[in-house]
Amino acid sequence: MRLALYVTCLVDLMRPSVGFAALRLLEASGAEVFVPEGQTCCGQPAWSTGNRPLAIDLAKKAIVELEGYDHVVIPSGSCTDQIRNIYPRLLADDPAWGARASALAERTFELTTFLADVAKNDPAASGFNGCVTYHDSCKGLRGLGIKRQPRELLLKVRGLRLKEMPDCEECCGFGGAFAVKFGDVSTQIVDRKCDAIAATGADVVVGGDLGCLINIEGRLRRRGDESTRVLHVAEVLAGGGAC
Amino acid sequence: MALGKHSQAMHFQARAGEKIRNPVLQAALQKARPLFVGKRVKGIASLAEDALDFEQLRTAAKNIRNRTLADLDVWLDIFEARATASGAEVLWARDGAEVSRLVVDIARRHGVTKVAKSKSMLSEEAHLNEALAEAGIRPVETDLGEYIVQLAGETPSHIIAPAVHKTIAEVEALFAKEHGRPLETRTSADIPAMAREARAVLRQHFLSAEMGISGANFLIAETGSAALVTNEGNGRMVTTLPKIHVVITGIEKIVPTLEDLATLMRLLPRSATGQSISNYVSLLTGTKRKGDQDGPEKTVFILVDNGRANLLGSDYQDMLRCIRCGACMNHCPVYFSLGGHAYGWVYPGPMGSVLTPLYTGLENALDLPHASTGCNQCGSVCPVAIPLPDLMHRLREEQHERGLRPWSERLALKAWAWIAGKPALYRWLARRVVRYLNWLADGSGRIRILGLAPAWTAGRDLPVSSSRTFHELYSARKKP
Repeated sequence: MRLALYVTCLVDLMRPSVGFAALRLLEASGAEVFVPEGQTCCGQPAWSTGNRPLAIDLAKKAIVELEGYDHVVIPSGSCTDQIRNIYPRLLADDPAWGARASALAERTFELTTFLADVAKNDPAASGFNGCVTYHDSCKGLRGLGIKRQPRELLLKVRGLRLKEMPDCEECCGFGGAFAVKFGDVSTQIVDRKCDAIAATGADVVVGGDLGCLINIEGRLRRRGDESTRVLHVAEVLAGGGAC
Repeated sequence: MALGKHSQAMHFQARAGEKIRNPVLQAALQKARPLFVGKRVKGIASLAEDALDFEQLRTAAKNIRNRTLADLDVWLDIFEARATASGAEVLWARDGAEVSRLVVDIARRHGVTKVAKSKSMLSEEAHLNEALAEAGIRPVETDLGEYIVQLAGETPSHIIAPAVHKTIAEVEALFAKEHGRPLETRTSADIPAMAREARAVLRQHFLSAEMGISGANFLIAETGSAALVTNEGNGRMVTTLPKIHVVITGIEKIVPTLEDLATLMRLLPRSATGQSISNYVSLLTGTKRKGDQDGPEKTVFILVDNGRANLLGSDYQDMLRCIRCGACMNHCPVYFSLGGHAYGWVYPGPMGSVLTPLYTGLENALDLPHASTGCNQCGSVCPVAIPLPDLMHRLREEQHERGLRPWSERLALKAWAWIAGKPALYRWLARRVVRYLNWLADGSGRIRILGLAPAWTAGRDLPVSSSRTFHELYSARKKP
């Protein structure tokens, strides 16, 4: 099975360890993993700002780069949602591109969904000593139905205890450009998320989208919480996040 | 559109900041939020008692609304014929100004000096209270929340809980002043007593008002009736005691049959307040008949367009399915950070972020379609499955298409997309950016002030974890 890892622009810039963790997990699943060279960004910033022409350009670019693989796996619910749900809509009026977008959409999976439902293998036999709480990212949860998969995988990790936070399905207030356009509103929202995390007493907050995680970590630190770790689910599954 | 002059939606950013820095408002909102959410959860769970499934039911509700909208003109004609046959008068208003003109005209012809009103968001669209007051007619809001808001000289901040932004202490201050009594210290245990106090005052108004004005939650075409869903009983007083009853509602509120109403009623109270049914559901048809103990001698329906017909057949037609339950705002993280007044016009929250630009002009509400994280909590609870984030997104696209986005944003996006289309350049630049961020973090693992995104670092740090990009590290690893 030839599999493409789409690391996402955020992981490339902000947290390469997530990309390497995903790589290890996918290789452990027995797939032949490629990191397509030309990948940059799925185009979501253009799409969510309402700039359809630019979003279409970047969608076509990603389709060309990724359509040659059996599966595409992405360590992000939000970017996966863009390819699975938005690309076919963006290109619906163009029969040729529309068909290619739909074909790619069907073969594209968010990381935990791929591991739990497609590869169906146990995560690398690593342990994790600590209590984690899981934040459900909006696009993953409501766009792709990701809820069971990360929990199923996390609970197989030796030594890991899962403690759910209140309102774990509430938005963290990131929203891409939203956090920059409406910084104070976003801060207000992420504060409630930080309160919910603190209420669990967990050592680690885990999520599947780096955008949310950077937002949550940034606010926790600004509030003076230096001890709660914030990790991507790939980092936990692959064993702590060292690359 | 004349409405634009009353809209404050262009000041969303400034208002949002004010609302966040208002601790009294924040206390009121944080208290209300879990109540709304919790009640709805229970209400939806109670569907199982009747062996009903939320998803199936909301598909049925969506279909009823879509079917009605597909032939809206036909159902409105049927409604007009049936309502007229039962003795009511049906008038049509193109916009809010026409609503006010019609109501003032009816009031003047019948020598009305006081109007008792039950809740009507459409009267807010029309700024009816202002128009009545200008004509020397006193409008008295009789819904408890609306009464509080009217005493405060404000507008509703929520479509079903108009005074949700008010604390008990604020209400007590208003009541003491209006009811001419000394100020007391109140807790939530005193709410029933405060409601009784308001009720005693309002009772006099019900008895002396010559005209009652209500909205309608639905219009039923087959019977020519208005359906009114209330909890306080004031709706029944307003619609039966005064000699004249005026119903003001939007043309999209129509449903074909009572059977359709029954389906929608399984969802409306549950989505709004979590109740399986509201305390009162009134079906109002025609005028007082021979032998009736009470009822109005004259009933007038004012059916209002005010921008609705423009949405038919447009990309936004789904929005006309809205049954005004308020679930979208009750589950919106942005709404509950700010309250309704930040949105600047009649309708707040996600439904308001769609309706305000559509009804008052795209260029008069530029921030609203962007005032969403795209979390889709609204869309997932909507009882008629309106894809609210998609509609907000379509409005963003239309802003772009009509050149309404700031040039700086357009230029930045264009430059970024151009670079993202050239992987080698993108990689080179990404490496520079990461090194720059790393230099700013200066070994601390975080950036506290980032000039490029001050709004981000005003409220949080920017964690920085690597001095190399993924692709840089990956290609280094591949080479032996």
